[in-house]
Amino acid sequence: MASNEDGVFDRWEVINRKIKIDLGSYQKIPSSAISTAQMANYLAQFQTIKNSCDRIVAAVEDVSDLWPTVKELFEQHQPLKRAVLTNKTRNPVLVENLPVEFILTTDARLRSRFPHEQYLYWFREPYATIVLVTCEDLDEFKNILKPRLKLIVQNDEKEWFIVFVSKAHPSNDQATKNAKKVYAKLEVDFSSKKRERCCKLDIHGPDANFWEDLELKITECIRNTLERRVQFYEDEIRKLTEQRFMPIWNFCNFFILKESLAFIFEIAHLHEDALREYDELELCYLETGSFPTPVSLSSISVALTIHVNMPGKQREFGGFDSEDDQAALLKPGSKPLTQMVHDDSFREFDFRQYLFACQSRLLFKLNRPFEVSSRGYSFVISFAKALTFHESVLPFCLREVWVLTACLALLDATASHHHDGVVAPDIEKEFYRLQGDLYSLSRLKFMRLGYLIGYGTDIEKSPLNSACLSMLPWPKPAVWPSLPPDASSEVLEKEKTLLQATSRTKHFGIQRKPLPLEPSVLLRVANRRRASLSTGNISEIFDGRPGFTEGSGLEASPRTPSSLKVQAAPMSRTNSSPGNFESPLDRPMRLAEIFVAAEHALRLTISDHDLLKTLSSVQDFEHKYLNLTKGAAENYHRSWWKRHGVVLDGEIAAVCFKHGKYDLAANSYEKVCALYAGERWQDLLAEVLPNLAECQKILNDQAGYMSSCVRLLSLDKSLFSSKERQAFQSEVVNIAHSEMKNPVPLDVSSLITFSGNTGPPLQLSDGDPGNLSVTVWSGFPDDITLDSLSLTLVATNNTDEGGQALKSSAATVLKPGRNTITFDLPPQKPGSYVLGVVTGQIGRLRFRSHSFSKGGPGETDDFMSYEKPTRPILKVAKPRALVDLSAAVSSALLINEAQWIGVIVRPINYSLKGAILHIDTGPGLKIEDSYGIEMESYMETDCDAGATKAEVSVEDSHVSPKRDSEVLNLCEGKIVFSEWASNVSSILWVPVRALSEKLARGSSSVTPLKQDILEGMRTVALKLEFGVHHNQIFERTIAAHFTDPFDVTTRVANKCNDGTLVLQVMLHSLVKANLIVLDAWLDLQDGFVHGKSDGRPTSTFFPLVVSPGSRAAVVFSISIEKTMPSGKDLQLPESILNIKYEIHGDRAAGAHNPVDAADHSVADAERRDLVFKSAIVLQRPVLDPCLTVGFLPLPSDGLRVGKLITMQWRVERLKELKGSESVEKQHDEVLYEVNANSENWMIAGRKRGYVSLSEEQGSRVVISILCVPLVAGYVRPPQLGLPNVEEANVSSNPPGPHLVCVLPPLLSSSYCVPVK
Amino acid sequence: MIVCVAVVGHQNNPLYIQSFTEAEDALKLHHIVHCSLDVIDERVNNPSKSGTTMNEAFLGLLYPALNYKVYGYLTNTKVKFIMVTSDLDVRDTDVRSFFRKFHAAYVDAVSNPFHVPGKKITSRTFSESVTNIVSSYSFN
Repeated sequence: MASNEDGVFDRWEVINRKIKIDLGSYQKIPSSAISTAQMANYLAQFQTIKNSCDRIVAAVEDVSDLWPTVKELFEQHQPLKRAVLTNKTRNPVLVENLPVEFILTTDARLRSRFPHEQYLYWFREPYATIVLVTCEDLDEFKNILKPRLKLIVQNDEKEWFIVFVSKAHPSNDQATKNAKKVYAKLEVDFSSKKRERCCKLDIHGPDANFWEDLELKITECIRNTLERRVQFYEDEIRKLTEQRFMPIWNFCNFFILKESLAFIFEIAHLHEDALREYDELELCYLETGSFPTPVSLSSISVALTIHVNMPGKQREFGGFDSEDDQAALLKPGSKPLTQMVHDDSFREFDFRQYLFACQSRLLFKLNRPFEVSSRGYSFVISFAKALTFHESVLPFCLREVWVLTACLALLDATASHHHDGVVAPDIEKEFYRLQGDLYSLSRLKFMRLGYLIGYGTDIEKSPLNSACLSMLPWPKPAVWPSLPPDASSEVLEKEKTLLQATSRTKHFGIQRKPLPLEPSVLLRVANRRRASLSTGNISEIFDGRPGFTEGSGLEASPRTPSSLKVQAAPMSRTNSSPGNFESPLDRPMRLAEIFVAAEHALRLTISDHDLLKTLSSVQDFEHKYLNLTKGAAENYHRSWWKRHGVVLDGEIAAVCFKHGKYDLAANSYEKVCALYAGERWQDLLAEVLPNLAECQKILNDQAGYMSSCVRLLSLDKSLFSSKERQAFQSEVVNIAHSEMKNPVPLDVSSLITFSGNTGPPLQLSDGDPGNLSVTVWSGFPDDITLDSLSLTLVATNNTDEGGQALKSSAATVLKPGRNTITFDLPPQKPGSYVLGVVTGQIGRLRFRSHSFSKGGPGETDDFMSYEKPTRPILKVAKPRALVDLSAAVSSALLINEAQWIGVIVRPINYSLKGAILHIDTGPGLKIEDSYGIEMESYMETDCDAGATKAEVSVEDSHVSPKRDSEVLNLCEGKIVFSEWASNVSSILWVPVRALSEKLARGSSSVTPLKQDILEGMRTVALKLEFGVHHNQIFERTIAAHFTDPFDVTTRVANKCNDGTLVLQVMLHSLVKANLIVLDAWLDLQDGFVHGKSDGRPTSTFFPLVVSPGSRAAVVFSISIEKTMPSGKDLQLPESILNIKYEIHGDRAAGAHNPVDAADHSVADAERRDLVFKSAIVLQRPVLDPCLTVGFLPLPSDGLRVGKLITMQWRVERLKELKGSESVEKQHDEVLYEVNANSENWMIAGRKRGYVSLSEEQGSRVVISILCVPLVAGYVRPPQLGLPNVEEANVSSNPPGPHLVCVLPPLLSSSYCVPVK
Repeated sequence: MIVCVAVVGHQNNPLYIQSFTEAEDALKLHHIVHCSLDVIDERVNNPSKSGTTMNEAFLGLLYPALNYKVYGYLTNTKVKFIMVTSDLDVRDTDVRSFFRKFHAAYVDAVSNPFHVPGKKITSRTFSESVTNIVSSYSFN
């Protein structure tokens, strides 16, 4: 110890020798006498001086008694507006508004000091010396003033400059001149090239520059002085630092030097540098201290080194003074430095707080409250550790109280210094986070204190509080406070409140083991600590255990065998009556006693009355607790830490709930639930959600309440017992069936999920209804009856159109788990459909579920289950041909005979079960009702040959068991299909008869047959109704062609000399069947008679077989009747050809034997022969020509399409007209008419008109007309007719129809280049 | 000792949470893990501020709380591992190696073809291997 003191002294000697001053009386003091008391004196002096000095001092050497005159002026120009100083790293720093105090050198404050003190407290010494002079006489200056000034400025330690004050009035020229002279002389004597040391103040003259000049000069002096002093201190500090680990080292010296330096910086407004000094000081203190626990700023290795270097030496910690429980970490002056010193070292408790206070003061000056917060929080944490280490010797709960007050002090100070928007948003958020942390920490400590005095029952056993409190070890005083002697009434009262406090049962009868708020059983801990005083107690075992594990928060767990023992022994004692123990000291305290004892102890610890008051009653406790919680929550909300904020909101809600502010509680709980639900923390949600539900129930928020119940039900099943889940369900059902005014909509997506059945989607054709079966998963624990249930389908191709709702029939009972519900599906539009939404009703509750499940409701935590399934549940095909009706036969059938018309019914992947076919024949066609309609299966792949086989099978399979053919009866124009025809193509044979009154006409080479397609065309309108509900309708009109068997062409083959004409009749078969001509005869018209025979050709030709498409001919010989009867009694205008025939055809190919003829019931003999009649026109030759028409030859170059030609006919009168009635009126005029096929010819000119033709024989006229041929080929030219003249009187040349050749048009050369 | 380990999905949903305390107080550990997501969010969203290189999965100490410590680890797939320990004197290197082993176990678990990504890990093997890893680390 002595050596150490010597060291201190030596150190100071070094300092003093260097600066060559006399230590004076201090040298005479024996070194050993500089004890702690001395040190304390130093410190006391140091602190006093420091406190008395708050700004830079400039000394004023008032040589000429001017100061009273100029003092005011000088002080007016304070502080220095802009001073450029140098910081520790020799960089210029601009300091604004630096205050400077002017003190006369004769002032007691400067004069009365011992020289050595000047260096000890250098910061208070003047930084500049201003010499004030005035003189108007040069001689006086030279002789008196100058030597005096030289004396003053000879000390080069000083930074000085001279202010020459001119009192001369501007009007006094002489005086002004003198003053100028003297000032000039002064400058010559004292200023140097290097440095200007003089400036001049005209009291009466305006001189603005002077003050700037003065400021510059003062600044220069300050800067120089500052540099020098800093340099000095730094050197000293460096030397001391090097000796840091030597035994002689003394921290106090170091501290005074360091703090002086810091203070020098501080008064020079170089706060950054000052802060750095304090930081270094703290570091050094922590490094040289002897801390068994590593602290934040020092590494473990250094701590160990120090420990080795200073064996057995340990600082006193401190913390025993009154009001030490109130953190002084922001009040540097709370305690004089002398009180912090003990045994030549600083007490850690006080000194670290002092350092932090200095740092934070500078930080506030630097306007960095954020940094105060952040440093403060770390400081509190690390300091709390130090307190923990010394806890056994500190007052009861001092640590808790200190942390609490420290946090509150920090919060107070930083909040008042913080202004929003000043710093970057990031920093601001961080600041609020730190505020939140500080609030949380103080809240935690406050709860701990509250618990210790018995308010534990008022603390919500939430996860947050449990996490805080149950992991925080109990205070570990050396001895647990014992019960004061007169506290029995308090104990009784406490016990009463403890008994009254029943733990609130949760809503729905949820029973959970409450979360612990204590790290271990308080009763045991307290009794053990107390009992450790007595000897021979079992509890000594526990005191032998390391304290660290004791506080691990897990002591209560029966993991270690020792814990097991612990639990057994003290617990039994607790339950036993006090009478078991004789001595009251040994009797374990009951819980109420512990609380009362703790309360008493705390009253001793806590010096702050406000804090005491907050702990004095439950109401005050709760009030403070709420304030702290709110503070934490608000600040966290402003920071990044939203979760912290929301969770704290939940704590506020719990308090609100307790006080009946259910709406506030519900709001906050909603937020907490939303947070947990959003991130699917179901365990935590299960803790909060019942509280929310309870609020909602009390508030009569039925919708919210039901929603909460549903949410509870949809949580993981393991979180609640089945009984609890049943309670949730019964709540839902009860509310739903209660008297609610309005139906309540509710989303139960999380509870009721649904999915389509696996496998391919249901496929329907357009317009078909169906049944859709859907799997619905119920998350309800019991069966639940739904009043209704409906399902919407959403078309995938058309999202904007709301899906159609399918209703399930009547009430549905959903079992827990999987249910299959079948919906009736009305016809849907084509497209593919996915499941939309399930809606339903339970009482007044309208629920909706949007949730699709893949496997079941167990996947509610699966994100993907909320996605819409892409798999369609239903596919409705686009309208397509479902069936095809077509005519089986395209070739012609026999007209006027009963024929089978075949209709092929071809289903296209669609069942025709129960289909109804309506048959409606068009005009000219009728169904032969007397015959049934034959239906048989139809082989599509087969060709005609196959069809033939089919027909064969028809004949012997009427009663075939295969049932692929049958006879159906037409009933009211419709037939019903049989079962067997549902899916196979079938053919229907309908017996019909086409009616035609018209007689077939033969054609000759003169009048060719005009084929009229429509002539034999008949239609059958078919309408097929099919589908499940006959909803599908297919309509088709099929055409059938009917025709006569033959086309008859006649020509006169030969003209015999005897006047017999050989008439050749060609029969052209028009049907696809073999026709067998059995007989043919001719009924001749008037004017013709049969030749040799009786009008029949030679009968040996018959029967004549005419194959399909082939021709046959029969020849008749006829002759012209000589005597032509008069026109009035003509019997036959035309000849009739009669042909008796048979037909051998297949109905699958075309014309066939008529139905009635083929009827098996009719005997062969009675078979009706088929007779075909055709009219033939025979024309008598022209026997009496009057006029002749001759077609004049055409030009030799031929006709060409598009080329204009002139057609010419010559009309010549062959004989004179005499009384012929036909030419009675206009004898000299002939009516002509040009007939031409307009498709072939374009005619220009009069087509019809009169030409004059004299009555005389041989008169002639040429009729010409312009024509353009329109088509190429052999065409019939226009014909000239004479309508007014009977055909018998006109002879034509050529006599019959003839053809002309029309060439195709020439190639157009317009776009062709001729090739040569 | 390690009192709780948790795997938290990239949407901050719990995938696996296992506490190693005997008392029925798992809920408080749920709370601690859940709240520590605030810190992870903050670090991930403000990489500049935290200063740590985001290239490293290990997030370090999340909470300088008085009574327990929470460490975080962020995988490339934004899955978070959180570990709560009641040991107050823990070396970062130990925690790092713990997380590396834990990560390996996690990768094994999710590589199971029957595991659906984003769903809770229910594998018993994973649980066992986690328990083994946890019991092998006692930071004192």
